[in-house]
Amino acid sequence: MKRSFHCMLVLFLLAVGALGAAEFSRENIAVRQLDNGLKVLLYEDHDIPNIAYYTFFRVGSRNERPGLTGVSHFIEHMMFNGSAAFGPGEFDRIMEFNGGANNAYTSEDLTAYTDWFPGNALEKMVQMEADRMRGLQFDPKVLESERGVIASERRLGDNDNDSLLEETVRATAIMAHPYHWGVIGWMSDILSWKRDEIAAYFRTYYAPNNAVIIVSGDFASERMMELIRKYYAGIPRGTPPPAVSTIEPPQIGPRRVQLRKAAQIPSFLAVYHVPAVTDPDFPALSLLETILLRGESSRLYRRLVSEAQLAINVSGGVGQTIDPFLFYIQAKPRPGTDLDLLEKTMEEELNKVITGGVTPLEMEKAINAARTHFYSPLQTIAGKADMLGEAELVYGGFENLFTLMDRFAAVTPAQVQEACRRYLNPDNKTVGTLVPDGGAR
Amino acid sequence: MKRCLLPFLLLVLFTGLGASGYLPEPQRFVLDNGMTVLLHLDSELPLVSFRLLIPGAGSAYEKADGLADLTAQLLLKGTRTRSANQVAEELDRLGVTMRCGSQEEFLEMSGSSLSENFSRLLALAADCLIGPAFTPEEFAKERQRRIDAIGEIKDEPSQAVRQYFRKFYFGSHPLGSLKSGTETSLQRMTVDEVRDFHRRNLRPERAILAVCGRIAPKELEKLLSTTIGRWPRSEKPLPETTLPPFPVVAGRTCLLIDKPDASQAYFILGAPGLPYGSASSPQAEVMNTLFGGRFTSWLNSELRIKRGLTYGARSSLQSWRQGGIFTVSSYTKNDKIGEMLAITFELLAKGRKQGFSVLEVESARNYILGQFPPSLESLGSKTRAYSDLLFYGLGFRYYDDLMAKVAQAQLPAVNASASALFPLENYVLVVVGKADDIRKQLEPFGRFAEKKIGAAGF
Repeated sequence: MKRSFHCMLVLFLLAVGALGAAEFSRENIAVRQLDNGLKVLLYEDHDIPNIAYYTFFRVGSRNERPGLTGVSHFIEHMMFNGSAAFGPGEFDRIMEFNGGANNAYTSEDLTAYTDWFPGNALEKMVQMEADRMRGLQFDPKVLESERGVIASERRLGDNDNDSLLEETVRATAIMAHPYHWGVIGWMSDILSWKRDEIAAYFRTYYAPNNAVIIVSGDFASERMMELIRKYYAGIPRGTPPPAVSTIEPPQIGPRRVQLRKAAQIPSFLAVYHVPAVTDPDFPALSLLETILLRGESSRLYRRLVSEAQLAINVSGGVGQTIDPFLFYIQAKPRPGTDLDLLEKTMEEELNKVITGGVTPLEMEKAINAARTHFYSPLQTIAGKADMLGEAELVYGGFENLFTLMDRFAAVTPAQVQEACRRYLNPDNKTVGTLVPDGGAR
Repeated sequence: MKRCLLPFLLLVLFTGLGASGYLPEPQRFVLDNGMTVLLHLDSELPLVSFRLLIPGAGSAYEKADGLADLTAQLLLKGTRTRSANQVAEELDRLGVTMRCGSQEEFLEMSGSSLSENFSRLLALAADCLIGPAFTPEEFAKERQRRIDAIGEIKDEPSQAVRQYFRKFYFGSHPLGSLKSGTETSLQRMTVDEVRDFHRRNLRPERAILAVCGRIAPKELEKLLSTTIGRWPRSEKPLPETTLPPFPVVAGRTCLLIDKPDASQAYFILGAPGLPYGSASSPQAEVMNTLFGGRFTSWLNSELRIKRGLTYGARSSLQSWRQGGIFTVSSYTKNDKIGEMLAITFELLAKGRKQGFSVLEVESARNYILGQFPPSLESLGSKTRAYSDLLFYGLGFRYYDDLMAKVAQAQLPAVNASASALFPLENYVLVVVGKADDIRKQLEPFGRFAEKKIGAAGF
C-alpha cells in the first residue's frame, strides 16, 4: 500500500512537472533588484515554450501637465522608433524576425511594454529593451510621422460618440487633478509638443528606478538575471520624478454637460468621484459595480434595459487607479428615449441600494464573478505578467494580488450599501448627454 | 482536494505526453443523440470551459438577416422551466459568462466557470438549448434592442464599414446575411420564424461539444447524460449545409457610404481568398503576415510607420469551408484617403510583380512559428481549436502539419500566393466617409455607387 502510494506520488510529481508550472503564489514569485533601482519579478512557467517579458514604467497621463497632455502615450509610440543602438523600426523588425511580437499600452497611471517571444529570442529582446530604456533618438522626421499616427488615433475617438462624451464628462467631473484629461491628450497639444520637452519627459520617467520588469514563462531565473544584469546594470539611476501633489477638491453639487452632434442615437453617462484602488472602500465599490452593472440580472441592466426598455445596454464600473478617480454608469439610450426619465430611473435604482441594501444572493454573485475574473487571466503567461504588473504599480505591491480575493470575501452587505450611499449620491454626480443634432432637447 | 486531483493529473500525464505537439489528442466519445464530445483535461486552475458548435444553424442558413443570431440570443431569454430573469440570475450567480451567437456556418454556445460550478452551468446551457420558451414578449424586446443597436453601429464608421463590405461583397449569397440583421429584416421577423429555425436547424446529430479544464471524465459523462445528452434527435432530415459557389469578382465594384460628420474615411478592399484548411494556406499565411498581418508588414510600414497616415493598416485571410476572402483595410483623415488607396494599390502591384525577399520570408516563418503556441494557451482557445478542427474535418494534428509546412514555406510559393490573391483589377472596395470631401479622390479607383449612412439597411 505504502509503496503504491509512493509510486503514485512520483507520478503525481511527474504530472505536475508535465504541466510545467509551480503554483502561481506569492512564494513562487522571485523578486530581485539591481543597484540602479530596477526591480524585477520572475515567475517560471514551462507550459509553452514562450516568454512574456513586460516592462512597466511608473508614468501615465497623471504625470502630465497642460501643454504636454498625451505625451506619455506619445513616448510609448516613440519607444519603437529608434534607441541608442537600434535605428527607427529596428526593434520591431529584429523582434519579429526572431519570432516575437509585442504591444504596449498607456493608462492614467502607467505605461507597459509587453513582449511575447520564443525562448531563443531572449537575449536579443533583453538587449533591445535595455537599450531603449537607456535612451531614445527622437529623430525629428520620425517624430513628425508618429505625431500623425497619434492624431489619427485621436480622431478614432473623435468619431466615436461615446468616447467624445466620456472625455467631456471626465473633464467636467475632475477639475484639478491630471485625470482631468484623457490618456490620448488634447488635439492641440498633440500637434504642438516640442522635441526637447518630450525628451526631457522621457529622461525623467524612463529611469530604471522608475521601472519594473516582470517575466513569466519558459526560462531559468538565474540565466534571466544574468542577462538582465548584463544589459541593464549600466543604466544610471535617475532623479526621482516629482510626486503628483494635486488633490481633487470635493464635489459639492451635481454637474451637467451636454453635447449636440450628428448621431443616430443619443449617449448617456453619469460619473461619481470614488477613492483610489488602495482605499479600504474599494472592494465594496468593486462588488457594487457587479451588482449594479454586470450581467443581465444586475440591477441597472434589469431595470433600464429589460423592464423599462430605456436603454440598449449599460456598462461602466469603478476605475482602478492610484489616485481617486470615478465610478462610471454608462447607458446607451434607445433612440427617442427621454434622457431625464433614464436618469431618474437610474437614480431610483441607486436609492434602492442606499435604503434597502443588497441581498446575500447578490453578494454571492459578485464574489463568484470576482473569483472567475481573477482566475481567468491566469490561464496564460501574458495574463500572469499583466496582473503582477498592475498589482505592483497600482495596488501598491504585487503581494497584494494574492490577498485580493480575501479582501473581496470579507466585504459585508452593509459595506456595499454604505459605499453606495457615500459615493453614488446626487451631490457627487456629473451627468453628460450627447443629443443627436436637431433632437428634442 | 489533493486526493481527488490525483487521478486527473495522472490522466493528463498519460494523454498529454504521448500526444501531438501543439494540441494534445482529446478524449472523444459520441452521445446517443449523435453529438460528438471532445475532452481535454487541464488541471492547472480550478476552471472549465466549453464550446458547443451546431453546424447548419449559422447565419448562412437563415431566411432573413439576423434570424440565426437572434435565435441564439433568445435561447438565453427563458425556458420552459425558467423565466428570462431566472436564467440571467442563475448565470450571474455562478459568476460565469455564457455566450450564444451565430457564426456563418454554425451556431455556437460557449462558457467558462469555476470547476465547482460547471455542472450547474452545463445544466443551464442544456435547458436553454433544449427547451427555450421563445415568448413573444422576450422576442419583441430583443428584436427592438437589435433594431436600436443598428443605429449604434452606424454611428461608428469602423464598425459600419465591415457591415457594408460584407453585404456588398456577398450580395444575395448566404454569406452576405448579416448577423446583426437590418432594420427591415428585423421589423418583419416573427417569433414563429425563430421557433421554426430552432426546430429545423438546431440539431444534436452533427453538434460538437469541446470541454477543457479541471474536470474528471466520469463526472463529465454523468453530467452529459442528464443534461445535453437528453437533447433528442429529430425525425426530420438535417438541413442542407452546402453553400452556393462564392461570388465571382470581376472588374471593380465600388461603394461609397456618405457619413457627413466623419473626420476620417475608412476602407475595406476585398477579393477571393482560400477555403479553411486549403493546401495553399501555409504559404498564404506567410504572404499575409508580410503584406499586412503584423506590425512591420508592408502595409503598416508604408501607411503608418513611414507616413503617419493612420493608426493601423492590415490585411487578413478569412476562410470558410467552401471558400474565403482576402481583405485589406485601413483609415485616414478625409483629405488623405486618395493617397492611402494609391499607396495600397502600389504595394499590391509590387507584391505581384516583384514579390518578397528570401529574408522577409524567413522572418515571417519565424514570426508565425514563434507566436503560435500562445494562441492555444487558454482553455477557451483550446475548446475553439478542438471544435473547429473537427467541424472542418482537419484532424487534431492539423496545427502540427500547418506549422511544419509554414516552417518549410519557400519564396517561390509565397510569391505565387501573392500573385494569386492580390487584387489589382478585380476587386470590391467599400469606403465610409464624408462623401463631399472624398468623392473626387476616389475617382481613380473605380466608379462608386453611393448610399447615405442614414438609409435603411447596409
